[in-house]
Amino acid sequence: MPGKMRKRSPLKAPERPYIALGLEGSANKLGAGIIKHSPDGSTEVLANVRHTYITPPGEGFLPRDTAQHHRTWALSVINDALKKANVSLHDIDCICYTKGPGMGAPLTSVALVARTLSLLYHKPLVGVNHCVGHIEMGRQITAAKNPVVLYVSGGNTQVIAYSQQCYRIFGETLDIAVGNCLDRFARVINLSNDPSPGYNIEQEAKKGKRLLPLPYATKGMDVSLSGILTSIETYTQDKRYRPDGPINDTDSDIITPQDLCFSLQETVFAMLVEITERAMAHIGSKEVLIVGGVGCNERLQEMMGIMAKERDGLVFATDERFCIDNGIMIAQAGLLSYRMGFQTSLAKSTCTQRFRTDQVHVSWRA
Amino acid sequence: MNPESSSTPTQRLISRATLVSQGAEAAIYKGELHPPPIYPVPSGNRDHDSEPVLIKYRFHKQYRHPTLDASLTKSRVAGEARAIGRCLRAGVNVPGIRMVDLQEGVLAIEWINGKSVRFLLGGGAEGEEEVDEVHGDVVESEETDEAEEDPLKGYNITQDDIMQLIGTEIAKMHEADIIHGDLTTSNMMLRPPSAPDKSSELVLIDFGLAYTSTLVEDKAVDLYVLERAFASTHPASEPLFASVLKAYERQAGKDWKAISRRLDDVRLRGRKRSMVG
Repeated sequence: MPGKMRKRSPLKAPERPYIALGLEGSANKLGAGIIKHSPDGSTEVLANVRHTYITPPGEGFLPRDTAQHHRTWALSVINDALKKANVSLHDIDCICYTKGPGMGAPLTSVALVARTLSLLYHKPLVGVNHCVGHIEMGRQITAAKNPVVLYVSGGNTQVIAYSQQCYRIFGETLDIAVGNCLDRFARVINLSNDPSPGYNIEQEAKKGKRLLPLPYATKGMDVSLSGILTSIETYTQDKRYRPDGPINDTDSDIITPQDLCFSLQETVFAMLVEITERAMAHIGSKEVLIVGGVGCNERLQEMMGIMAKERDGLVFATDERFCIDNGIMIAQAGLLSYRMGFQTSLAKSTCTQRFRTDQVHVSWRA
Repeated sequence: MNPESSSTPTQRLISRATLVSQGAEAAIYKGELHPPPIYPVPSGNRDHDSEPVLIKYRFHKQYRHPTLDASLTKSRVAGEARAIGRCLRAGVNVPGIRMVDLQEGVLAIEWINGKSVRFLLGGGAEGEEEVDEVHGDVVESEETDEAEEDPLKGYNITQDDIMQLIGTEIAKMHEADIIHGDLTTSNMMLRPPSAPDKSSELVLIDFGLAYTSTLVEDKAVDLYVLERAFASTHPASEPLFASVLKAYERQAGKDWKAISRRLDDVRLRGRKRSMVG
């Protein structure tokens, strides 16, 4: 049990520089990152390389093909990272990999790479929770102290706050994740998956004008998104729907794909901001940190900013380098727990598709 | 929210009222529907005029699209007023409705003169949890000499009586197919006896998340939410909550069996399923 000095960070300053390699591949992004923790307490990103598996418009990424992509690219991505960082694998203290949550096949293929490297170079393995990786990297980059975290990505939608060595989940989606909702709608209206479907929705939404009524489903601090997806899909069957804009000048009462993107973003983001605000009011925090792929969306950041301003608070967000899945965040979270003495033995270096944020013992925070 | 430039009667009402607290969803004010007249009135003549009301103001959220915000505010104010109205008709102790303004997002209800059950059970005021956690060991030592200042003084009631009142009121509400959605001890007020021969009354408040449902599932989840709230705010609350359920059982009669069975299921299920994806 912790003693009376509860507020002092249990993480001691490193006596020498520590370097960690992080490997991430829980979805369609394959990332390798190298991070360095120096004795003066500073943290340096030495390399952050990513390769994304992009599918043709109208198609999502399937587990088997994604795993194949990761296997094909793993070595060149890792070599790239090592070259950029100008370090050799011999200099590294530990190899961190994503233990979960994520898609099974891509996770296992990256874990296999991590295990192989660990055996080849006699380096300890550290299994990392993907969500905790996002949170730790966001905290590192933005220097937010104890924020309420909104974690929004293709596979996760959670409102998280830290309490007693655990990232507690205050609210989450009851069905699909927000990124999944946006991506699937992008597929319906045939938007490109390059660089990402969510980015293209954001660009289309900027041209939308008409706000169409959609369900608004917040339940306490939770949200439900699947009904909204069905509802917005139905609009593409509406007789007012014009996939290519108005047919002639008199064609005014119409629904364009841009309007749909606009309506979808406005509704879904308003729900997310609302549950975040509830969590902030509940725990009395004034800081918000947005992490995860959807966190790059500027409209979401803007809405969150307005909300925080009304409450006298601050918003912290990162750009696509750290928002979207990457290897560096796995290295950061992994190195933190490695410095606390945590290692994953080879026998236990498995992956799991279900690994909740609150299952991790956050030993490095007071 | 600038009181100086307000023009509608509702806005003027708010500008005269005093802010009590500010939540995520709304600001709470204490005000009077009938302002004191400008000219002097003989005293003793305006007793009934000065009844205080609680004003729940769902102000415009700047981050939300105006159209979306207006329709949400409207439906939420209407929904809350409707739930309170149904409770009143079913004989549940809830604050009376004094005024509804859907355009402005204002709901004014009867001001309850009393304390929250959370406070009366020694759970502290809302928002104090963080402090308690830091001085975890200090709180425990305080509990022993808690009897010095009994918060229940003047209510003429024991803790167990309060629990029974809670159980009875919730059962009455569920009988009318209303689900509160946010049952906590902070959302229950105890009104002291109005006369020496009367007893204290328990009043359920904050129907912001209420909805109607006939499902056993929803009623069981409602009770489970309360059980969790008890466990997190009041240490050693098991005997207290058992007493709530006993009173609920007495009031619910034959409906209890199904709800009780479902409550056991819900407890096993826990609040969150394992994450998918």
